[in-house]
Amino acid sequence: MKTDDLVTLLASDTGPVETAGFARATGLTALGGLAACSAAVLLMFGPRLDLAAAAMTLPVLAKFALGGSVAGLALIAFQRSLRPGRAAAGVLTLVLLPVAAVLAWAIAVLATQPMPAWPALMLGQSWSACLVLVPLYALLPLAGLFVLARRGAPVRPRLTGIAAGVGAAGLATLAYALHCPEDAVPFLATWYPLAMAVAGGLGALAGPRLLRW
Amino acid sequence: MSLDDFEAVLHPAFMAGLEGDAGAYRRFLDLIGGRLRGFLRGHLARAGLASVEEAEDVLQETLLALHLSRHTYDPAVPVSAWAHAIARYKLIDHLRRSGRHRGHLPIEDEALSQAAPGSAASDARLDVERALAALPERTRTLIDRVKLQGGSIAEAAQAAGMTETAAKVALHRGLKAMAKVLTRRGMRTP
Repeated sequence: MKTDDLVTLLASDTGPVETAGFARATGLTALGGLAACSAAVLLMFGPRLDLAAAAMTLPVLAKFALGGSVAGLALIAFQRSLRPGRAAAGVLTLVLLPVAAVLAWAIAVLATQPMPAWPALMLGQSWSACLVLVPLYALLPLAGLFVLARRGAPVRPRLTGIAAGVGAAGLATLAYALHCPEDAVPFLATWYPLAMAVAGGLGALAGPRLLRW
Repeated sequence: MSLDDFEAVLHPAFMAGLEGDAGAYRRFLDLIGGRLRGFLRGHLARAGLASVEEAEDVLQETLLALHLSRHTYDPAVPVSAWAHAIARYKLIDHLRRSGRHRGHLPIEDEALSQAAPGSAASDARLDVERALAALPERTRTLIDRVKLQGGSIAEAAQAAGMTETAAKVALHRGLKAMAKVLTRRGMRTP
């Protein structure tokens, strides 16, 4: 077919096209994913028993702030990465800021404690549960985000995958914080960021494979 | 024409196209097609592949991708940057698929501005033709008719005994199916 003929064909397939869809669709997918994660956490484990009292304490608020800010930034990057020509990597690297903040806080806490107390503060009772469950719950929003990404035009599918994975882990963090009984800042500064990195790695592997177009 | 001047004519044509203005959209496709032809030929030549037919293949696949990705355009970026990012993706995909993309291909971002505006179109090899052949008979006939009627859906629909709405839907689905065939072609089987 001659290029001119193809252009004729394309030009005959016109009609109004809406370009404002992705921000809203990302928001709705994120909300749906968060609801699914929360339901899964609450049905499988129930909330932590003292949630009503603990919800306004600093460690629990810190988990919400960490999960919320990481999810927000990563999902902005995700949404942008579906639009060719729009830079997304910069926003995505901003997720290091909240992570750095909790790390700094954790170091400050550890500095006030004798060294023999450090392992207990970092490992808590449930470090492996956090490390496994947060990426597992993240698969729920991640699936929705990948379905959405296939409607976009991700010219950097690995970046899109990482942003989706990290964003999904941020949402899973919000949900898992309803159950997670650990209140030591060194715990949350260690295992939540690691869980986010695991989910981001999953996204990095899946992106180039699932998002070809 | 500098990239800024180019954007100044490209942007209004594309935006009017998004509103459904077929004439403006055609102008956009012709403008960006000429520009991308130069860009693709230049890059294929630098990769040691001077075949103009091959450049035309990538150009056609890119134009189809641009068309089907109009909803991904972000008003915050220049239309030329959006189109260039898609062309770059399709070029790398093409090279990778044919096993000639060895890691890094120096496709610098300002490349589009240096691209000589496309010289005359050449014949493509057969990629889009093959994608067309994979469509159902009915859709293929319709597409041929639209082509023959110079883009008039109304006349093509009448000739095919379809309503205009049905023909529009069938054409759009056909273009999508062609893009899918092109994407799947040469996909590595696990």
